[in-house]
Amino acid sequence: MTRRIPFSTWQMALAVTLTVMPTLASSQAGPPPGAPQGPPPGLQLPPGASGGPPPGAPPPVELTPAQKIVAALPPPGPGGLPPRPPLPADAVMPSADPRDLQGTWVHDKALEFRNQKDMYGALLPYTMEGAKVLSRRVNSLKVGKPFINASAICRPPGAPWQHDLNFPFQVIQTRDYAEFIFEEYHGRWHIALDGTRTPLPAGAPYMGRSVAHWDGGTLVVETSDFKQALWLDVDGTPFSASGKLVQRIRKVSDGGAVPYLEIVTTVIDPTYYTAPWSMIRSFAWAPHQAVFAEYNCEEQVGDPSVRGDAGLVPEPKD
Amino acid sequence: MGTEHKITRLAIGAIAAAVALGGSGTALAQTAAPNLEGVWKIVTPSATLKPLSGPIPFTAEGRKDYDANRKLKAAGTYDAYDITLSRCSSPGVPRLALTPMRFKIWYRQGVVTFDYEWNRAIRQINVGVPLQPDLMGQGLVPTMTGKSKGHWEGDTLVSVMEGGSDRTLIDDLVPHGFDLKVTERFRLTDPDTLEDRITVEDPAYFSKPWDSVVTYKRQPDAIFAEDVCLDRVAAHQPAFPK
Repeated sequence: MTRRIPFSTWQMALAVTLTVMPTLASSQAGPPPGAPQGPPPGLQLPPGASGGPPPGAPPPVELTPAQKIVAALPPPGPGGLPPRPPLPADAVMPSADPRDLQGTWVHDKALEFRNQKDMYGALLPYTMEGAKVLSRRVNSLKVGKPFINASAICRPPGAPWQHDLNFPFQVIQTRDYAEFIFEEYHGRWHIALDGTRTPLPAGAPYMGRSVAHWDGGTLVVETSDFKQALWLDVDGTPFSASGKLVQRIRKVSDGGAVPYLEIVTTVIDPTYYTAPWSMIRSFAWAPHQAVFAEYNCEEQVGDPSVRGDAGLVPEPKD
Repeated sequence: MGTEHKITRLAIGAIAAAVALGGSGTALAQTAAPNLEGVWKIVTPSATLKPLSGPIPFTAEGRKDYDANRKLKAAGTYDAYDITLSRCSSPGVPRLALTPMRFKIWYRQGVVTFDYEWNRAIRQINVGVPLQPDLMGQGLVPTMTGKSKGHWEGDTLVSVMEGGSDRTLIDDLVPHGFDLKVTERFRLTDPDTLEDRITVEDPAYFSKPWDSVVTYKRQPDAIFAEDVCLDRVAAHQPAFPK
């Protein structure tokens, strides 16, 4: 009998990308938490410069013991963007209304296997507990015994993992809520507008409970009450079930070009991080990808002839 | 057309239903056709897709597989014939029409999306998105929901589904092969009643096409709870909640 590759593994293989993407400049009104004061660290001097750095150069960054642990880990795996059909010349365009985010979008940068730095280029502010969990996960990859996560067992992996994959999603809006329908994982991200007449159901879902308000043309979403901890990326950058995500979502128009969608996610999780930190992602307009490929991971997760956990092992409990 | 906004056809009903969060109307809601958008629920829940008249016209092969499925069901050997019950695999088309939980219909960007509460399943009918290059070869593999191509005939959305996997069932027992063709005609019989008139064809399993009708009632708008079928099955509960 032919042994099939577990679906989730296959999908992830398609999503493989190059290392860490360059950070994007944020043009939002007011930076998310974690913005450094002064010029960014690691300023490069021009070739041939001598006599020491020019005035204003930042002092060398002093790593915390937790950051030293993380910095010593093997680098994340490489990858590449999966092929994507080009946007047709006669494609429908996004609404001109900044508060209408509807349509089909797809992450347009290489997937980051591991969030090594925040959107400002600073190392993530790990607690010792956070460094320990990430180290455990990265080392499990190194020894060929990776841990089970939500993705591997066909459960909702959380919004950051979900939208980071280079597969399309559709945004639907009504008067009272927004709904992100993802191609992968049967993904649904429901966002209730603050004061809505259509409330969120009770309970703590895998995707968390998301409530939003508009700040100008930016939809500010606060997500908490998670059913379980999330992996923020493929390598397992940790996020506890008691943490909170703040997502700032807006359309950005670059002087006449096709607008793109921007999501800045601020991670607030004292269990694993000493301070809030933020990541930024951009998503290309993709109405021609509105017809999704089917995602049916249950067929293989439950197949007695293949390993339902894709060969992964349970992660030790703390 | 460059960066110009292509004006999509808007219907009054869709504009009302698709107003952006706290903002103005949307340029992406579709229509010109009747607005099928909304939350719907089957009127008479049933695990069986009943023919409009007479018995299902099985061929000899169809009858043989059907009888085999009945025996497997009686023995409780679900995974041997129904991986929806055993693994929560997508029920496919037309069985998704029988899901007992609610579903939403969205008609945006030339695509009708059936957004099911059950296991967060989706099924899409392509009404107006041009075929794209299949850069990853996904079209080569039969899928549970196949490929549904739709068009409007007056007030009726007509969908033809082909390319479905033979690992789904028509309902909880009736088998089919790769040549399954499901034609559906969706229309509002009144503002709060949706009718899905289904024609099933598969020459290997049925001696002639046969028809069925499933009816839905409009439900209040709602944010669906996160339904995870595998969690139910892991807790030894049925894939489809009672």
